[in-house]
Amino acid sequence: MEISKTRALRGPNLWSRHTSLEVIVNCDEAEQDISSIAHFEERIRNRFPQLANLQSRQLPRPVTVAHVLELAMLGLQAQAGCPVTFSRTQVTNEPGTYQVIVEYSEEPVGKMALASAEALIRAALNDTAFNLEDVLSNLRELDEDVRLGPSTGAIVHAAAARGIPFRRLTSGSLVQFGWGSRQRRIQAAEMDCTSAISESIAQDKELTKRLLEAAGVPVPTGRPVRDAEDAWAAALEIGLPVVVKPQDGNQGKGVTVNIDDREPLEIAYSVASEFRDDVMVEKYLAGHDFRLLVVGDKLVAAARREPPMVVGNGKQTIRELVEQVNADPRRGTGHATSLTKIRLDEIATAQLAMQGFTADSVPDKGARVVLRNNANLSTGGTATDVTDDVHPELAARAVDAAHMVGLDVCGVDVICDTVLKPLEAQGGGIVEVNAAPGLRMHLSPSFGKGRDVGAAIIGNLFPEGEDGRIPVVAVTGTNGKTTTVRLIAHLLGASGLRVGMTNTDGVYVNGRQIDSGDCAGPKSARNVLLNPTVDAAVFETARGGILREGLAFDRCQVGVVTNIGSGDHLGLNYISSVEDLAVLKRVVVQNISPDGMAVLNAADPIVVPMAENCPGKVTFFALDRHLPVMAAHRARGKPVVYVEEGAVIAEEGTRKYAIPLKNIPVTREGAIGFQLQNVMAAVAAVWAVNSDWYSISQGLFTFRAEQHNVPGRFNFFDYKGATVIADYGHNPDAMKALVEAVEALPAQRRSVVISGAGDRRDDDIRDQTRILGAAFDHVLLYQDACQRGRVDGEVIALLREGLEGATRTTTIEEIRGEFVAIDMALQGLQAGDLCLILVDQVEEALAHIAQRVKASDSGNTH
Amino acid sequence: MHLRGPNIWTYRPVIEVWLDIGRFEQLPSHTLPGFTQRLTDWLPGLAQHRCGVGEPGGFLLRLDEGTWIGHILEHVVLELQTLAGMRTGFGKTRQVKEGSGIYKMAFRTRNEAVGRMALEEARNLVLAAVNDQPYDIAATVIKLTDMVDSLCLGPSTSCIVDAAGEQRIPFIRLTEGNLVQLGHGSRQRRIWTAETDRTSAIAEYISSDKDLTKSLLSSCGVPVPAGRIVESADEAWEEAQDLGLPVVIKPVDGNHGRGVSIELSTKAHIEEAFELALIHGSEVIVERFIRGNEHRLLVVGGKVVAAARGESAWVIGDGLASIQELVDSQLNTDSRRGHGEDFPLNRIDIDQDVAIQLELARQGFDSHSVPEHGMEVLIQRNGNVAIDCTDEVHSDIEELVVLATQVVGLDIAGVDLVVEDVSKPLIEQGGAIVEVNAGPGLLTHLKPAVGYPRPVGGAIISHLFPKGDRGRIPIVGITGTSHTTEIARLIAWLLRLSGEKVGLACQEGLFLDRRQVSTRHSVNFDAGQRLLMNRTVSAVVIETDAKAILKEGLSYDRSTVAIVTDTQGAESLNEFFISEDQQVFDVMRTMVDVVLPDGFAILNAAEPSVMGMAPLCDGTVILYHASESLAAIIEHRTNHGRAVFVREGQVILARGNEELTLNARGSLKLNDSGVLTENTILAAAAATWAMGLPPELIRAGIETFEAEHASAHPPGSSVKAKKKK
Repeated sequence: MEISKTRALRGPNLWSRHTSLEVIVNCDEAEQDISSIAHFEERIRNRFPQLANLQSRQLPRPVTVAHVLELAMLGLQAQAGCPVTFSRTQVTNEPGTYQVIVEYSEEPVGKMALASAEALIRAALNDTAFNLEDVLSNLRELDEDVRLGPSTGAIVHAAAARGIPFRRLTSGSLVQFGWGSRQRRIQAAEMDCTSAISESIAQDKELTKRLLEAAGVPVPTGRPVRDAEDAWAAALEIGLPVVVKPQDGNQGKGVTVNIDDREPLEIAYSVASEFRDDVMVEKYLAGHDFRLLVVGDKLVAAARREPPMVVGNGKQTIRELVEQVNADPRRGTGHATSLTKIRLDEIATAQLAMQGFTADSVPDKGARVVLRNNANLSTGGTATDVTDDVHPELAARAVDAAHMVGLDVCGVDVICDTVLKPLEAQGGGIVEVNAAPGLRMHLSPSFGKGRDVGAAIIGNLFPEGEDGRIPVVAVTGTNGKTTTVRLIAHLLGASGLRVGMTNTDGVYVNGRQIDSGDCAGPKSARNVLLNPTVDAAVFETARGGILREGLAFDRCQVGVVTNIGSGDHLGLNYISSVEDLAVLKRVVVQNISPDGMAVLNAADPIVVPMAENCPGKVTFFALDRHLPVMAAHRARGKPVVYVEEGAVIAEEGTRKYAIPLKNIPVTREGAIGFQLQNVMAAVAAVWAVNSDWYSISQGLFTFRAEQHNVPGRFNFFDYKGATVIADYGHNPDAMKALVEAVEALPAQRRSVVISGAGDRRDDDIRDQTRILGAAFDHVLLYQDACQRGRVDGEVIALLREGLEGATRTTTIEEIRGEFVAIDMALQGLQAGDLCLILVDQVEEALAHIAQRVKASDSGNTH
Repeated sequence: MHLRGPNIWTYRPVIEVWLDIGRFEQLPSHTLPGFTQRLTDWLPGLAQHRCGVGEPGGFLLRLDEGTWIGHILEHVVLELQTLAGMRTGFGKTRQVKEGSGIYKMAFRTRNEAVGRMALEEARNLVLAAVNDQPYDIAATVIKLTDMVDSLCLGPSTSCIVDAAGEQRIPFIRLTEGNLVQLGHGSRQRRIWTAETDRTSAIAEYISSDKDLTKSLLSSCGVPVPAGRIVESADEAWEEAQDLGLPVVIKPVDGNHGRGVSIELSTKAHIEEAFELALIHGSEVIVERFIRGNEHRLLVVGGKVVAAARGESAWVIGDGLASIQELVDSQLNTDSRRGHGEDFPLNRIDIDQDVAIQLELARQGFDSHSVPEHGMEVLIQRNGNVAIDCTDEVHSDIEELVVLATQVVGLDIAGVDLVVEDVSKPLIEQGGAIVEVNAGPGLLTHLKPAVGYPRPVGGAIISHLFPKGDRGRIPIVGITGTSHTTEIARLIAWLLRLSGEKVGLACQEGLFLDRRQVSTRHSVNFDAGQRLLMNRTVSAVVIETDAKAILKEGLSYDRSTVAIVTDTQGAESLNEFFISEDQQVFDVMRTMVDVVLPDGFAILNAAEPSVMGMAPLCDGTVILYHASESLAAIIEHRTNHGRAVFVREGQVILARGNEELTLNARGSLKLNDSGVLTENTILAAAAATWAMGLPPELIRAGIETFEAEHASAHPPGSSVKAKKKK
């Protein structure tokens, strides 16, 4: 078995919506049928007994090692506690090569599972050792390490439940919800609007107390005192009982609590003043520790917290009692469980010493021995949910406290006897407010009901009905994608939105190019969705990206399929037929949101059936509204876009909008057929986002496919009275569209300059010239700069083959070098001629043509 | 006494001192031999004091003519504060009674502790001058300066607070540090140096993580120095070629520029630099070298409001002096260089500055090296960023810098940018944003070494308070001796009915909305401030009395409404040397003095002394009295003034000749009201009418007050019972 390629599919993909690893596995002959390998199944089951049944009827016969790898990867992750279910093994058209696809919840865990599964199979093949326990514990540890913590996890989960997209920005707990200008961020239980100043205030206990006091929130009031005399005066002002403590003291040193008379107070003063010169007298609060969670202006959860402790029985030592408590199966070691084991460490020992115990003391029956001074779950404390008990007045004080400090998510620490009564009625008070509070004690308290505090936080970030999404339009197809994307972006921009756009030329945000090169993949799209200045996004979604990584988004509002035609790039990456290609591009349609829209080419028989796979609505477009698909769709009152009587018509039920072609310059009054296709697709897409027809028609009027706007897409030049058109078309469908467009233009002699890209199938290369041969008098073939794996002259030979028996072509020339070819073609031109130059190195060639045009003195571009 | 609010002396906080000058009553300045000379030797700045004459030298004139020691003390205190760097001006000294030798002296201070210390030292100084004893003025100034530095607001914060003052936005300092509340109650905002309450904690976290910031910025198309962590010297060379030469090689977690090599272009240098970086950090990063000067751009609320450029510092060798000596003679002589916040440029001390040591080491020097004659030695590549270039910033750079702050999520940020020419687009020059800083220092822009200071405090204030918003909530102040608590409570109730979250401080305690937060007598500065600090309160009603004004000043700077019922009570103010009604008038008028121009003074027309305050009001005067035939009311109405009175058992709200009847349906029976006196209703109706409450609401509120009042109170503590003294 050999693994030749591994890909992480991080978004919806060809196989499923799940994040998955796709592994290309090559099996030798024996490995293509495990029953041919002696003892293989037995050995593997010995090493990993939980492996799914290999005799299952769901598995094809024969079962290959690739299938075993699939099931092992899935099984190992499942055993490590990862919630994964999807897996598949696909036979490819190369014998012995399989695509194994297995879901993961965390990419590093998935990759480790792959390595472990591979090791397992090798161990079984070679009959060597495999330590399942180690493997699983490594997987578990890695999973705990990389997955979101419980607080962040709960918030992300709540977002997912509301259909709000999310993305982790770091390996920590910084998460982005929503997209573009509607995005929000959290970091654990901290929101992007959480003010840094408020957090600083919360960290300053004295300042917090002063502010809470100003807000009328009961706090343990107090003041610094000068001497024992003043301490007594202060105690009387504050009201007994009081606490005496050194100011800014730590770990309770020199603190005396619950003082209710003058004599003990004086003693307490002298104790405290041994530690520090500044001594405080404060109101003593008695009762339980409660943690109240305030989100926005609401109390959403409350818990009573107890420090880790044991209760004596007069027989067992503290050590034994702790062991007994820790035997509770709910007590784990990490953050995942509702209880954590109590640790008998240095801090606990010190705490015991303060109470006069050691770990080996035997406390009296019924004696409560506290092992730590704080009630954190992570150190063995317990939390009991009391949310439903909180008195509204008490809740109001907690909200006041949060509001006064300025925290929108706030853990309020309260000391009082009971939450059933107002604080004022029982002498309770708020002792601390915490920014970014832990949520675990509310999500999974040790006792009582868990509270969906994640939903409360998400509710605060996103009001009811908002999901943080900006309109996302994904455009796929064989030809016309880039122009369609540019058109859609332009039209959305015309309606006042700040648009982010990705295509094969780069990434553009609000008109500014921020990246160049082929950006039609998911990485660029994700960058656009991250950008806080983007109100709407338009993505050219090329096959490569879908294959490589899946989609950049969980779903889009509009998915456009311009056409599939006879395809392009066939034969690469196990996509060998037009049908395969359609299945791949259909991924866009399958992941349209339920309230979204698919925009499909009704004239393309391979595109039309994709309507069945669309979870949302469908708009069909085609020049001819009488096509059966169009007619039926229109008859049912569904949206269609077509051309009639010199106008682009958008129609849905009784609503009908017309935009005259003369106001759509990019179509040259309708003469350029493929631009009409692009316009119809773009209009349909924009209509689904925003049906402001004024801005749509304005946008169409102002869009010009000039060189600076869409380089390499039907760029016009006027060279000494001849029309020169440069285009980057490079497949048979593009040729057809170009020929159609060129034929609509008047011209005397027609010439074409072409090379072929070596990475196409032979037939596809021949087809290009076969089509051109019917439309051009003169053909100049040139050798491509990059032969993409072809031997010298091979491509030109194929192009020549395509011209055999051409109906129109009379002369053929072969030239080396793109620029030489261009120059030669231009030299031969006379006024009234037409020359189509199929450029290869787009930018350089366009610049070259532009320069020649300029030098010719008639240098006006259209 | 520290008068923390508007007081009988001035609107601003002062320290009031009572002086018994004893024998000096007989000894004015010109009778003390050599006194003036000694005093002005120590404090030459006194020559600038204007005093009564109104121009510099005024005070010296008074010294020569003979002035008393209390007055001298006042000027000395102010001069000491000025020398310590605290801007103040106001001072006043008044004898309590002719010939008594007892004076009240008040002087402005921005910090109580500094003020008290200045006072103590001023006394020592004056006595030393009198007695011809030595006095160490320098030591005093150092001591006071240290106090000012540690206790007063830092320069960044004060420039914001000063800008707030210019916009008439009130402020309350919440800590001894730089946490300041701007505005009041629910309209308040907070700042902590250059952080605002809108500065996101998450954004600060992001900005503190350089790598995260870089990756977010670059995802959004903001140019950053591209780079990658490399494992080996070979890889470093490969990566350098990918990034484009020259490059920087540095340890990922180094500090002070240790192990950093810059501007590397050759394979040999890069390999060498890799090894060096490896010594100083766990991992090594190769980054594109960004050519140009370091710039700091201050972004506030999506705009670049100031920009400054750093410049490299060089010395030129003479073949004799060491680099340290050259730095001292060629750079540190610059008068802009010094220690502390007041100097735009730091003194260069090579021994204290690792970055400079490394820069020298890169050139093969240390501080003791003696460069040849004419040789230029680079001391600081990017020295202090202090040359203002705000007006040069290209719009493309502004756009990218603002985007960077948005991506990080900061409302106020200092963006560090390296570019050769800030007046040209960034990308074409290969410039980059290297850091986004939260809570940026403002000093660079306030005191640039070259160029104009920029009003960055004002920019932050406009960001926090959109035009016209002064952060103010309605403040109703009530003073006098007659039913003032009752008036306060009624107004609070009426405002609550109109939907406000009302804070009330009065003799009966402190109330937040319905809730009584304290039962203690709350006619004092702290109670009022407590309400104004509360973030939920949208209107406050504050009762005050002469004693509180005398002892602490008012708890608010300006008010929407001031109600004065009378100026009685001189007899209870003897301890303040007050015995006559005119003196009470001088105390109470403070209330009317602070009424905002769009505010109101509600005055009892029956009290001539109260009526005397009418001309002092910046706002509108509304008179109230039971009888409309009172001469004052008739006259006021003739001048189109507003008045509230009773006619046939009905409350009339009048503006000139226009009249509104409060109890149009006649359901309000004034005389039957068990709790409220007539004047209470009139004063409260006038105040709430002034504040724009509809008459129907006012009437309904008056009718329901009793029931509300009873329910809000614990049994057995009715207003009536409390009212009796």
